[in-house]
Amino acid sequence: MTFKAFILGMLATFGLPWLFAIVLPFAEMRGLESPQLDEEGEYYDPGRAERISEGSKIYGQEGCAVCHSQVVRPTYAGWDVHRGEWAGLRASPDQPDDTRRETLPSDYFDEAVAHIGEARNGPDLSNFGRRVEFYQKGKEISAEQWVYLHLYNPRGVKNYKDDQFIPAKSTCPSKRSLFDQVPLYQAGDDALALEANEEGFAVIPNDRGRRLAGYLLSLKKDTLGQPLPKDWTFTREAPKAE
Amino acid sequence: MSETPSTTDIHDIELRSSIDRSLRHPVMFFFASGSIWLVLGILLGFIASAKKHAPEFLDCISWIDAGKVDAAHLSALVYGWGCQAAFGMIIWLMARLTRKECTASGIILVAGHLWNLIIMVGIVTILAGQGSGVTLMAFPSYIWVSLLVVYLMITLWSLVQFQVRDAGHVYVSQWYLLAGLLWFPWILGSAIFFVFASEGHPLMAAAVAAWFKSGVFLLFLLPTALASAYYLAPKVTGRPVYSYNVALFGFWALAFLGPWAGFQRLMGAPIPQFLPYAGAAAMVLILIPALAVGLNILKTIQDQKELAAQSPSLRFTTSGIVLFIIFGVLSFGLNTVPAIKMTQFSYTGYGLDILAIYGVFSLCAFGAIYFIVPRVTRREWLSSRFITWHFFLSLYAVASIVCCAIIGGIIQGQGMEDLSQPFGTMAERSSSYGWGITIAWAFLLVANFVFCLHLLLMWARLGRRSSHPTLLQNHHPESPHGPEGEIDNIGSVNA
Repeated sequence: MTFKAFILGMLATFGLPWLFAIVLPFAEMRGLESPQLDEEGEYYDPGRAERISEGSKIYGQEGCAVCHSQVVRPTYAGWDVHRGEWAGLRASPDQPDDTRRETLPSDYFDEAVAHIGEARNGPDLSNFGRRVEFYQKGKEISAEQWVYLHLYNPRGVKNYKDDQFIPAKSTCPSKRSLFDQVPLYQAGDDALALEANEEGFAVIPNDRGRRLAGYLLSLKKDTLGQPLPKDWTFTREAPKAE
Repeated sequence: MSETPSTTDIHDIELRSSIDRSLRHPVMFFFASGSIWLVLGILLGFIASAKKHAPEFLDCISWIDAGKVDAAHLSALVYGWGCQAAFGMIIWLMARLTRKECTASGIILVAGHLWNLIIMVGIVTILAGQGSGVTLMAFPSYIWVSLLVVYLMITLWSLVQFQVRDAGHVYVSQWYLLAGLLWFPWILGSAIFFVFASEGHPLMAAAVAAWFKSGVFLLFLLPTALASAYYLAPKVTGRPVYSYNVALFGFWALAFLGPWAGFQRLMGAPIPQFLPYAGAAAMVLILIPALAVGLNILKTIQDQKELAAQSPSLRFTTSGIVLFIIFGVLSFGLNTVPAIKMTQFSYTGYGLDILAIYGVFSLCAFGAIYFIVPRVTRREWLSSRFITWHFFLSLYAVASIVCCAIIGGIIQGQGMEDLSQPFGTMAERSSSYGWGITIAWAFLLVANFVFCLHLLLMWARLGRRSSHPTLLQNHHPESPHGPEGEIDNIGSVNA
């Protein structure tokens, strides 16, 4: 093999995939817009709170994506839509519509990188915010407080759905670096409702904690109350156990 | 040394020893500091794995909490140990193969210190929660840019050496070295540009990061390991490579498939649909180069089993190559669409990563280190027992990690597909495999602590002054007490 053949071979074998799998898809995905909900041109807008990008970055920095995914795969690639309420809320007396759906490219807008996730040692978080808000509604702990309590001590908070403590199950780390301990008089409304507070002190989320919680609560990848467009639907029947 | 001097090749020996002398400091620096990162990376891996099933473990220290410590673990292992071991191998192999002394060892040494400094800053940044937030490229962007610059400072000289080599046959190891040298800056540069520098779609940033992570192994660490295997197997056995054509085929098969791999991690995510399929197909087909290269090297050392048992370099290299074939087989089985559907978000991917980084690359790198270090320090390894421990603990521990991760991952995935079971049950089912992985990391830590200590003693030039290499077995001494003198090194001149 001559040196020239070697370089030409390298250019072909590496350059082509580089062009067709990296550069062109990158350019194609860059121009992507929000999908239209209907023919009249109403755009699907995730309507997420501001500062998502910062919260998303903290999510990555804290390594949440090591154990949590954020993708609801189409049924050919996995049965995520049928697993619990990962894909959205199921129909129930309080919630007439079944809002489950697969992930769309626009779900990740405003983030620097999509946190697809490495493993599912914890549940998928695509619709985490939606679930917590729905199930914490009307309870004494607000959705936001629930997220703070969970981040502070995952094994010390009751599950939002069935009100059961999950001490044996959860292997989620407690992210204490997202919280500060302050004297009680400085605490304000955000003080965590902890039973084991030190006398005269309270625990409040710091800036990073607030942004991460804001981001987590913004994870709502269903249809925001709109009817599901036709081409987003999928087989509602869960696959039978083999 | 392996060669018996005679009048004809006395010039050769002088040339080789002057090459070794010119590279002594950078090569030893890369290997020694790499081995310290290896120990650190394994320690972090132990902590990370323990936290997956025992979340209260070291819970009081918030800068090593789960998530951050995972990223720090893989970064230390790949960029602290993997890249530095590869640098040591590349500069030494390229100098020996082009028969050129290194004239820039001072610059390389300085660059090596910079590399360590940058990795250290990067790891601290990750643990402080100030990383990039990109899962597979956890260092912040300025760390990646500086790594690219320092990489060029380290490896440019090897390219120059290749360019000014005396005309003649280019050996198969040199293709791999040259290809790895060119691929790495290309993938790193592209990843920096597409993930950090340009505003693209967040999904494509994730896809490019996955492609980069896969590329670091398939297009940089693996070619370096194979270059070393193609160098050592014929060198130690004194036989030519079994088949030149198969070597050529294996090289181009890897070059053809490697750049497509990585996207299979995003199967099911809404990116252009051919990408994950192309990635999965490339990973399935990796079996072809694995078989071609693996069988070619194994054929080369066939009939020399005794030598492979005695020589530490050959024993480690052979094991690494066998694990490469196993990597190919597992990759073939675990990257079909139904298998990805089941194992995409489980321990399985981690198991394959560790098999690649520790099983394939590191074992080959250890083989190279056991060969190179005595030559550049002009001292022999102190203890064959240390080497034996390192070998068996490494092999069994990495096998345990890979088996636990892959089987645990499949069980995790099966649980996920069984919709009649709640999610919690599935997480519990795999936790005993998590325990297995943690315990195996502890054994690996012991193995590499021994290795690191041994290597640091060699770095301090405390190795044996002897003309007989350290071998792993003594065969058939003539009397029960062996002959007088060097009892450890009877009857063989090869290492």
